[in-house]
Amino acid sequence: MRKRISLALLAAAAVAVSGGVGMTALAQSGAAAPATIVKVATRRITESQYRNTIRDAFGPEIKINARFEPEKREGGLMAIGASDLSITSSGFEQYFSLAKSISDQVLDPKVRDTHVPCKPADAKKADDACTKAFVEKYGEMFYRRPLTAGEVAARVKTAQLGAAGAEDFYAGLKLALTSLLVAPEFMFRVETAEPDPANPKQYRLDGYTKAARLSYLFWDAAPDAELRAAAASGALHTKAGLDAQIARLQASPRMQDGARAFFIDMMQFEAFDGINKDPANYPKFSQAVADSAREQTLKTVVDLLVTKKRDYRDLFSSNETFINRHLASVYNVPYASAQEWAPYTFPAESQRAGILTQVTFLSLFSHPGASSPTKRGVKIHEIFMCEPTPEPPADVDFSKVQALDKGTVRTRLLAHMENEGCASCHRVSDPPGLALEHFDGLGQLRTKENGTVIDVSAEVEGKKFTGAPGLAKYLRDDKRIPQCLVRNVYAYGVGRPTDERDEDYIADQTKAFGAKGYKYPELIGQIATTPEFFKVRVPSGATPVPPGPPAKIAQAPAGANR
Amino acid sequence: MSLNFNRRSMLRGLLGGSAVCMGIPALDIFLDENGLAFADGAKLPTRFGTYFWGLGLTDTPTGGSRWVPTKTGAGYEITPELESLKAVKNKVSVFSGFRVIGDGRPNIVHWSGHAAILSGQAPAATNRMDGASFDTRIADAIGTGTRFKSIEASASGKVVSFSTRTGTSYSTPETSPIALYTRLFGEGFQDPNSPVWKPDPSIMLRQSVLSAVTDQRAALMAGVGKADQIKLDQYFSSLRDMENQLAIQLQRPEKCEACVIPASPVEKPKAASVDVVNSNTKQMARLLAMGLACNQTRVFNMVHTPGSSETYVAGSSKIYHQITHDEPTDAKLGYQVETSKLAALVMQGFGEFLNEMDAIKEGDGTLLDHSLVMGFSDTGYAKIHSLENIPMFLAGGANGKHKAGQHIATKGEPVTRLSLTAMQIAGAPVGEFGVGAMKTARPLTEVMA
Repeated sequence: MRKRISLALLAAAAVAVSGGVGMTALAQSGAAAPATIVKVATRRITESQYRNTIRDAFGPEIKINARFEPEKREGGLMAIGASDLSITSSGFEQYFSLAKSISDQVLDPKVRDTHVPCKPADAKKADDACTKAFVEKYGEMFYRRPLTAGEVAARVKTAQLGAAGAEDFYAGLKLALTSLLVAPEFMFRVETAEPDPANPKQYRLDGYTKAARLSYLFWDAAPDAELRAAAASGALHTKAGLDAQIARLQASPRMQDGARAFFIDMMQFEAFDGINKDPANYPKFSQAVADSAREQTLKTVVDLLVTKKRDYRDLFSSNETFINRHLASVYNVPYASAQEWAPYTFPAESQRAGILTQVTFLSLFSHPGASSPTKRGVKIHEIFMCEPTPEPPADVDFSKVQALDKGTVRTRLLAHMENEGCASCHRVSDPPGLALEHFDGLGQLRTKENGTVIDVSAEVEGKKFTGAPGLAKYLRDDKRIPQCLVRNVYAYGVGRPTDERDEDYIADQTKAFGAKGYKYPELIGQIATTPEFFKVRVPSGATPVPPGPPAKIAQAPAGANR
Repeated sequence: MSLNFNRRSMLRGLLGGSAVCMGIPALDIFLDENGLAFADGAKLPTRFGTYFWGLGLTDTPTGGSRWVPTKTGAGYEITPELESLKAVKNKVSVFSGFRVIGDGRPNIVHWSGHAAILSGQAPAATNRMDGASFDTRIADAIGTGTRFKSIEASASGKVVSFSTRTGTSYSTPETSPIALYTRLFGEGFQDPNSPVWKPDPSIMLRQSVLSAVTDQRAALMAGVGKADQIKLDQYFSSLRDMENQLAIQLQRPEKCEACVIPASPVEKPKAASVDVVNSNTKQMARLLAMGLACNQTRVFNMVHTPGSSETYVAGSSKIYHQITHDEPTDAKLGYQVETSKLAALVMQGFGEFLNEMDAIKEGDGTLLDHSLVMGFSDTGYAKIHSLENIPMFLAGGANGKHKAGQHIATKGEPVTRLSLTAMQIAGAPVGEFGVGAMKTARPLTEVMA
């Protein structure tokens, strides 16, 4: 009868009705209501965090087909850049349409009973109680904290409009779910601090913020029910409660998700989005090769560091890995397995050593038509040693540098050494890259370039080594390697770059990391246990406010709510 | 924002000179008998776009240039690297001798140039600008009446756009012709010339989804720091754009005589060689032009290749960027031969882009006549990352507001003067632009009608 949606309904939809005002679930959950709170950071969630949250809430069957807004690298990490990012108009369009697609899948008649915790009294009408139960259940997963009364009421209202318009309870519920999924409280991790009862003049992160920091670091996902319960009860503010949760997170197979996300960030895998190889120079390259290479590196990292709990530094020397048919062709080895992936160990004559000799690193940090010792060297320093190379001088004189049509790239790079402005950086960046020159721009083994035998000897700060195995040994013994990992794990977890005030802390943590045999899972747990992991830095311009919702100003037009 | 167009508000809009897509009903009522212009003199809407390519154009170490015409003013001659602009030369103005003034900030290679052109100030750090890019101010002024406030596209497949409101978050571009097609003509597109039209009731419901979010704004904003506030403001401004888009979709679109829905492009493998990038550019130009003609947007930002361009000639082991630095100046010819050849190839993208816009007939002329496209690069002479003599162009008649076909040569004027000129011609209410030594209130009146 009322299939057509009236203009009055449209008007009602345009102006949202304010939710009820009162004590919020959030405020009720704390042991003692704090005087003021302050929001220390808003960090846009990453694509994998979004995906993991949807998977945790509704299962892996939900298809997420969308283009996410690009992330931003700041201080070496996307996790730091996330604090800089907002959502642009074009991005919002994408997230909005994705939210609608997820809601349609979740509330599809075939599966909706598994997702909706209640049945409406009449499936053709709104049912506020059932909507509320649904919104509270999933809202808490998405917002990483219980919803306030106002946040719930706004969605109940939306669901009412939708149910009335379509004469379908579930149509209304879809709108409510879509609304949660595009909310800034979901799209951004809002980190909140409250006065510390132990030091009334200081702030501490509130329980839910602590829970989120832990969960994203260990699992790259929103906190699960148990972690949220520990936040609500205040257990995360106690040593015993925190230790118990850390032990639980650490023991879970979901540590693999966390490790993947961390290394995707640290190793700059966004470079895969723009990888191009010239087909004339590299006929074996394809998108399938690029995708396989990415997966190979991640499988290697997870297997070595999380499953086998090996020394982090083995990443640079171990030849144990996994390959598939696409990669076997590039590595020029037979593939006999009937499985999609098979374990594989490179023999000594392959000249390969560790992850730097996998297709991932070798091809990402090369040109479309040639290898680049400089790019590779710069990235080794930047990614694994936390030593970024300064931008080249803008007005550098390249007149001595000649085009490369004969000889090897080494000849060309030597020209840089004649110019002191260039040499100070190239002397550091190029040698590790030159040691990798037996691998072309795709990562295939070669011994000659333009008919000339390639020299892979290198010298850095008086240390001489030869080829990839020599470089692997050099890096495995370098003190900067474990320290850089510690620095990255900490910065990744807290979402800000380290500065001079953190140096003692990083040094201490590196020592402890070494004392326990450089085990990555141990390091994660160790850092999460330190007070520095939850340290509050109040941002400039933040005015502390009383907790709970502020006074509402929005009003429904008279008669809009039928 | 309420956008309840009715016949009366449409009339008011037209007579007030505000731009709507010229429609058949409009033709019947408002045009003079030649169908050339609105009877009261109001014209077809002005569209605005930016077109960026990486690595500038080639100068010679002795002070010459492969692209700057010797003749100034109207009727400049076509130089080797501008060959591809030949067909539309009379609709393109060339600007030479403009520079970025750093005010103590370093030359951040392949970033400072365009960041300064767009934000009015040399940036402090790479990938950051100190403020919004100026295209957003034009979009705010002329882009609110269409489905999209602006559309971004990147022809090299790289996820790169320089359009920003915060200086840290950049618009997400469409990176393939097919993605651009889907955005413009896929779900949500309403054919303006379709004889039947019914409002889609689901759109109203989607509006209610957004109002539930807006309702919580005050609570979210309470207690946040300054930087977070800027970010959240941007979020809510994006949400408003979405609301606007939905409101527009609830209105019957006005007919557009030039609008012909294009066929969907074919998915192709990604590649960065210059032939592929140019082919993508051409296809994207065709789609963007139709998007403008079909009134889906009034503003676009196109990136041919990023600043440190990785494009190359297929089969070559060296990329353009490397060649600009490594190639010696030819002793006889006095310039970098390969570099100049590549520069001309890259400029083919721009030429074809403009040709596509000029191919669409609209009213008394072409779409290009009713548009203003500002083309620019990250650098002047790429070999030395020069911030002087950055090549810049204005193309299109902008509905008669751009006195096109001139060469304006200066000796070191700030690039911001052209940015300001573009804003004023395109219709943004901006009186001055830029910061410090690049602050200017002087547009280039020579090219303004």
